Formats: sequence, structure tokens, C-alpha cells
Amino acid sequence: MSVLSVQDLAVHYRTERGTAQAVRGASFEVPEGQVVGVVGESGCGKTTLARAIIGVMPKTASIAGGRLIFQGTDLLTLSPRELASRRWRDIAFIPQSAMNSLDPVYRVGTQMVEVLVERGGMDKRAAKVRAAELFDMVGLDPGRLRDFPHQYSGGMRQRAAIALALALEPKLVIADEPVTALDVIIQRQVLDTFKELQGRLGLSVILITHDISVVAYATDRVVVMYAGEVIESGATAEVLGRPFHPYTMGLYRAFPDLHGSGGTLVPIEGSPPGLISPPTGCSFADRCPFVELRCREERPPLLDVASGSRAACWRVSEADTLRVRAGEAATWLRS
Amino acid sequence: MAPLVAATGLEKHFPVTRRFSEVLRREHPVSRAVDGIDLFIDEGETVGLLGESGCGKTTTGRLLLKLTAPTAGSIRFADQDLGSLQGPALKKFRQQAQLVFQNPFDALNPRFTIFRALREPLLNAGIPKEEHDERMRIAMRRVRLADVDDYYDRYPHELSGGQLQRVVLARALVLEPRFLVADEPVSMLDVSVRAGILNVMRDVHATMGLTAVYISHDFALVRYVCARTVVMYLGKMVEDGPSAEVVERPLHPYTKALVQAVPVPHVNQSREPLPIKGSLSAASAPVGGCRFRDRCPYAFARCTDEEPPMRELAPGHRAACHLL
Repeated sequence: MSVLSVQDLAVHYRTERGTAQAVRGASFEVPEGQVVGVVGESGCGKTTLARAIIGVMPKTASIAGGRLIFQGTDLLTLSPRELASRRWRDIAFIPQSAMNSLDPVYRVGTQMVEVLVERGGMDKRAAKVRAAELFDMVGLDPGRLRDFPHQYSGGMRQRAAIALALALEPKLVIADEPVTALDVIIQRQVLDTFKELQGRLGLSVILITHDISVVAYATDRVVVMYAGEVIESGATAEVLGRPFHPYTMGLYRAFPDLHGSGGTLVPIEGSPPGLISPPTGCSFADRCPFVELRCREERPPLLDVASGSRAACWRVSEADTLRVRAGEAATWLRS
Repeated sequence: MAPLVAATGLEKHFPVTRRFSEVLRREHPVSRAVDGIDLFIDEGETVGLLGESGCGKTTTGRLLLKLTAPTAGSIRFADQDLGSLQGPALKKFRQQAQLVFQNPFDALNPRFTIFRALREPLLNAGIPKEEHDERMRIAMRRVRLADVDDYYDRYPHELSGGQLQRVVLARALVLEPRFLVADEPVSMLDVSVRAGILNVMRDVHATMGLTAVYISHDFALVRYVCARTVVMYLGKMVEDGPSAEVVERPLHPYTKALVQAVPVPHVNQSREPLPIKGSLSAASAPVGGCRFRDRCPYAFARCTDEEPPMRELAPGHRAACHLL
């Protein structure tokens, strides 16, 4: 059972140079009680996707097509008022920089209580009790509710943002790079707290990140995005262990592994295509070592490849061979 | 042979905003960003300065380049005292010791073409004009931007992040320095292009025999580029040794927690709770004794009373902990 079904979603931005197609026909499912990682480089559309789901987008952005089915309702057909009433209650958001999401001039507790009263319909006394419970739950001292955001460390702010997101027991939590700004030790502690709560409360989560290691550590399923498209998705163990798309294969070789044998890392040369006039064919074609004529002419559809995995590549049937070749550094070298 | 860089008893304190009561009592509280570091770097060594934000790694890098003056302690570079360098000797040092910035998008003047950006250091150093072209080409080749003519006439905004960081590195190398400090050189770049920069850095050491300090919070990156790793915690060195040793056989409890906390790109990995308590907060940094004791699961009375010195526990591998 899926909590959220993203179907062929397209999001455009108006820019001075024309329309930028930030998300181009993205489709994936968020199964109930699972953590789905959305991974990709800057500009791949992962944050735009998150903002489209929570319905908070800049004025220059518009939905150009697709559906967002949340518990049987298409979120894109709801009025802004209806959507706003679902925010926090059904779908909550944890931003990358919690510093920007907390108002610096109000005490953290005041902001928590406000959400609980305004959105959750609690009375003030019950809200205060609940705020203390929530703080306890994310591993913060409830006494710190009286503090202002600037009195918190980065890790504490991120925990407070998690507490705020969980305040009204949402079905779905969208976390945009929730630990990126944190040091590794704090990052790990925040992720552990988050995972523990997610399991206990049966939350469904979309975790947006650029870090494959975070995906490997904390997610059940993963969606790999490139230039606005979903190019691979599936169970995390499958996608990382047996990738079907050359980009996913390459990303793996480009990443330093702490316990690595000291083998040479291999960059993926080049950069993603512009989004104002994206190529007609596969968007990875220019950087792909396995590119063929067909790749440049026609965009490959996202097809089922293995148990629950999907990939958008014309050469998926040869994936086993390509994977071996992708493991060799010479494959990725440009002459 | 004397080390190229020798820092002894290095300290850097910054004044912090005083409370009213402290003003009345004429107290001047300070933040001890670097609090007593002895660091010796041999010619040709690559050292990674590793630590969490606020541990003093960036300040240490700035001190080593004489970009800021130490509160106490001294630094010798090629047997000259940095503190007393002036005039032509200081200018010579500035040419021999270069810095690579974190954010390549900010490091280059947007109104300068790549050609001009690269030539600027040569002009400043008074290198004869006829040598410029050759030196610039060598530097660009070193960072694998061999087709220089494609780049010379372009402006920074026309290049990608990865290309820009190569240009920044080439600019640092154009004067053939002996010593390079790079502060988080790839943290602004996307994963798929990071590898290219890291490989260039490895090559540069191999071919130029350059001495370098990399400042980073990324353990995997430091291990990949640096032969030696120095771990810092709240202004102190806590461990120092060959990178592979420090990762695979960490000695200090902090390093152990750090190694365990680094996520790796595999699904099968340890999810054990970390052997560490609380969180780093510079404000509550304990003075005297071991800086790590509040977060250390093994702390005992001696850790409060006595500061553990750095001791050599295996060849070239030192750590500061009473338990070792």
C-alpha cells in the first residue's frame, strides 16, 4: 500500500531565459511505513519535487503535469486552503537548515505550541504538555523549550525541527537534506533518532539527499534523479548492490569509501544538461560511456528491471555486462 | 633534516562578546580556537587536518600561512620564524605558501578571464614576462585542463564548479609553491566531479613533491588524499598518524567514534550506537584536563585533573589519552 504515488510529475520554472523544466515526468511510490531516499546532484530537481509535494513553491514555479495521489486524493486538485489544512497534519516537512525554519524572535516552545494550537486544535495547556513530550522523544531536554533558536547547536535545531514535524502525527514526512549541515557524529545521532521514531510511529518518509552513504544507512527504497528525471528506483539494497543505470554505476565509483582499498576514484566527466532546452534523448547521454545512437534520439522510459526495481536506460538488458565495465576505471576516462 | 613546517605551542584565542557582569569585573573571556598544538610537517608530506566544525582546523590552517597571528607559540617555515618575517622575506614566503579556498565560485574575480586570473600571481611575483606562458600551461596541465586555449578567454561564470576548482588550484600552483593549504577543497562540489579534483591533488603531490595540508571534516576524503591524518578536537590535537592506521586502528576514543560515525556507501554496515555522549558545544568546553571528557564514555577522575599529552604508541602514530 502506497501512502503517496507520484505519477509523471512535471514542474517548470519561469526564468528570464525561458522555461526551465526542473522536474520532467517523475514517477515513484512511497510505501506505507518506509523511508524512500531521493538522491541526486545539485540541480537534479530533488528539492523542487519535495516542494511540489508539500505545495510550497516559489511564484515562478508551476506544475506542468502529473498527479500526486496521497491516500486516494490528488493533491494537485486541492485548493490552496485545503492543501494548507493538510500541511503539518498529514504531510510535514523538515528543511535542510532548521535555522531558517524557526523564527529567531520567538522561543522554540512558543512556536511548537502555536503549531499544536493552530493546526492541531489543542488547547494551550495540552499543547505545552505535548511539546515537552515531543522534545523528550527527539532527545532534547524539555527545559530548552524556553530557549531561542540561536541558543541551540546545529544538531539541537535539527532535532527541534524533527519534533515540530512530528507534532501532529503526520502520515508522511518529507526531509530535505536533514543532516547535511551537521558534523558526522551529530549527523549519525540525529539519523538514529529519526530512524527509531520512524519505525516506532510507522511513519512514511521521503528523505532527500545528495549523499549515497546516507541513503545506504537510512533508507528502505531509493529514487535516483538526474536532470529532472527519475532514472532508477527500487529497494536500496538492490539499487546500490546491482545498479541498472550507468549513472548509478558511475556514482558508486566516484565516491570515496573510508575503508576503501585505496583504489582510484573515477569521476563522471562533464556536467548535466541545461534544463531550459533539455536533450530529446537520454539526459545522461553526453556523460555516459555506453552511449549509442538511439540514446541521443529517443528518451528511454522507466522500465521494470528486477524485483521492484526500475531503470530508464536503453541498454538495461545488458546491465550485467555494463556493470562489469563500469567497474573499470578506463571506461570512464575521456580521451 | 628539519621539518618544512614546525609549529610549537601554537595558540589562537578570539575575544568573545562579554556579558555585562564580565565588563564590570574587567574580564576578557576568550574562545580558545587553537589551544596548544605542536605540529611538524616534513617536506613532501600530505597532512589532513580532520575535525568537526569549531575544532580549530581552519584557524590552524590560517596560522600556518601567517594569515593570522598566533596568540602564543611559534611557527618556523624552512627554518625561518614566520612571526618575524617582513618585507622581501615575507613576500617570498607568500609565493612559496599558497591557499586553495573552499568555494571556487567565490575564489575568482568574476571580471577576470581565466588567463588574467592565472597570470595575476606571476605579475605580483615579478616573474619575467617571457616565462608566463610556459608556467601557466604547466599549471593548467597539472590540473588536467590541458586544452588551455579553450579556457583562457572564458570568465568564471562560464565554467562548471569542477572546472573552476581546477583553475583555483592551477592559480595556486602557478608559482611552483613548496607548501599548499586547502580548506575543504571539494565540499562545494557535486559527488560526481569531486573524484576528479581529488585525483588531481594526488597527482600534484606525486609529481611536484608538494607539501600540503588539507582541512576537512570528511574522513574518507582525508584518507584518500593524505598520507597522514591529524585529528583535532576543541583546539587540541588528539591523534596523529598514518591515515590508514588512524582509520583502521584508531587509538583515541574520539577518533573511534568518528570512524564509526562515518556512513559508508554500503547497505551492510554497522548500526551500533556510537561510543560517545552529548554533542560538541564550544561554549561548554571544559578548561584544563582532557577536552573530550564530557563526551567520553571511559572518562575517569584523572581526565578532569590532568591534561593527557600526545604520546607515540606505534611508529609515527600518536594520541592523547590517559587510557592508552
